[in-house]
Amino acid sequence: MVDDDRDTALYLSVLLEDNGYEVRTAEDAVEALSRLEEFPADAVIMDVLMPGRSGLDLLVKLRNSPQWRDLMVIVVTGNDRVLEDYGKSYLSLHKGIRGPDAVLGKPVDPRALLRLLDT
Amino acid sequence: MDDRTATIITYEQYFEEMPCYLSVHDRDFRIVDANRRVRADFGERIIGDLCYRVYKQREDVCENCPVEMTFTDGKSHSNEQLLLTRHGKQRHVLVHTTPFCCDEGGNIVSVMEMLTVIDEFKRLQNLLQRSQEHFAQLFEEVPCYISVQGPDLMIRGANRRFRETFGPAVGNYCYEVYKHREEPCLACAVQLTLEDGQCRTTEEVVTSAAGERINVLATTAPIFNSEGKPEAVMEMSADITEIRQLQSQLTSIGLLVGSISHGIKGLLTGLDGGIYLVNSGFTNDDRARIEKGWDMVQRNVDRIRSMVMDILYYAKDRELSLVDVNPAELFADLENGLQKKAGDIDTKLTIKVAPDAGTFAGDAMAVRAVLLNLVENSLDACRADRRKDQHFVRVNVGREPPFMTFDVEDNGIGMDRETREKIFSLFFTSKGIKGTGLGLFIANKIVGKHGGRIDVSSEPQRGSRFLVRFPLEARPSVPLVEEPAPPSQ
Repeated sequence: MVDDDRDTALYLSVLLEDNGYEVRTAEDAVEALSRLEEFPADAVIMDVLMPGRSGLDLLVKLRNSPQWRDLMVIVVTGNDRVLEDYGKSYLSLHKGIRGPDAVLGKPVDPRALLRLLDT
Repeated sequence: MDDRTATIITYEQYFEEMPCYLSVHDRDFRIVDANRRVRADFGERIIGDLCYRVYKQREDVCENCPVEMTFTDGKSHSNEQLLLTRHGKQRHVLVHTTPFCCDEGGNIVSVMEMLTVIDEFKRLQNLLQRSQEHFAQLFEEVPCYISVQGPDLMIRGANRRFRETFGPAVGNYCYEVYKHREEPCLACAVQLTLEDGQCRTTEEVVTSAAGERINVLATTAPIFNSEGKPEAVMEMSADITEIRQLQSQLTSIGLLVGSISHGIKGLLTGLDGGIYLVNSGFTNDDRARIEKGWDMVQRNVDRIRSMVMDILYYAKDRELSLVDVNPAELFADLENGLQKKAGDIDTKLTIKVAPDAGTFAGDAMAVRAVLLNLVENSLDACRADRRKDQHFVRVNVGREPPFMTFDVEDNGIGMDRETREKIFSLFFTSKGIKGTGLGLFIANKIVGKHGGRIDVSSEPQRGSRFLVRFPLEARPSVPLVEEPAPPSQ
């Protein structure tokens, strides 16, 4: 769970833990990568706008890595336009990169998130 | 018939058939001869009658009578006259007179008068004059600024609105009058139009004689000489200041709505989280979880409150409500909440108010909002910084006449130059979803309105320092809500 907003990170991690998932949290892309080294995650839930390297940087990094390229990536964002505009232009710079598996708008619908993870 | 008689008959025919009025007058202004046209329009029995009576139905000699002048000086004369025919029709005529017959002593005995009807010419002349007056009136009254410049960029003519706004313009250079410049503008549409004869439209900001800045949409059009070359340029400028202001306000409102909805989504997630923790804490009888959840709710309610205050300050041009503000009391009120927030992120917050700080004249609510915003920003900057183990935020308040100074310093993430230069811009935020881009914009306006200022120094990874100076005696200067800066995000 990668989000610099601690409330969101705490909420979603507690929600997922209550539903039987094991969760690690990170506040930015750098921390997320080091968490992944020690914790073999099945999915990454991440915000787009974070300090330093953005969530999209993290997505590209994951997709380019043989180890993590198939991880399910769910983007959670409060600003749909940022994702649309910035995301499109950003990903067009990285041709061939598979985008996120799902995008959820904030406030997050917990059922939608759980449904996605159950698939 | 001899030749002479034949010639006389021919000339009599010419006289009769001339396509104008021809008459011969003696010294007493009696008509001694007249051609067919005269007789047809002024009567068959006019011979021997007085010309002014025949031609004008008046009882005395006309003023400026060309016949009289020719009798006097023996020369040809001409002028315009208005005749009245026997049918009551007015006829504008061009009168030419010439001496016709002299006696043995060389004295003029009669004068021939030729009157050419110029009714059509006169009608066209009147029409032309009316249309000239009409266009002059249009030029004067058209609700935009019009000036005509020659190749030297000197104004040759200007309409009323132009003169009223920019002062006497004719004889001055357009760049002096319009822009208060000492040399021609860099991209001069007037010069380009003079070169190629093409119209051009540009948007400019000009300055009135009173110093008011006006947005104009200026169109230049060539005025060609008889050879078809541009000899001057007409510049017509429409005032679009209100449109631009409205556009800027609409853009701001759009950005504000976007920014607020973006912020609210983040806050709702936080509230959802808090409610979830409280509910699930009750279900599982987990008091720690309930407390965490309740903290989360409180934190996000605080954030909503602060956002709403920002929006209110932005939306309404509030007058300052000045009271004696006591910084010690103000921070005593704020410190608990701030210390809790600092504790949550392992940051050491120290607030020192100098014992002799006393009070200053300020709007208590507005000052509180500024200081809360600055300290919370510093705490956020510490939380975002992961490179240092220990973080601090130090607030020092002191009395440095003529100011009350608030020094807010942190060793958080710091700012690069671009961020530092934009922080007071409306809707600029470096905080992602947690920022609306209103806080520092409002803070700066509030301090400005008190007649104070905020100075910022910052370095990336090192930290930031905000030095706020409020005058001890308020000297309000800047309105709280100014025209917003252009969007910077």
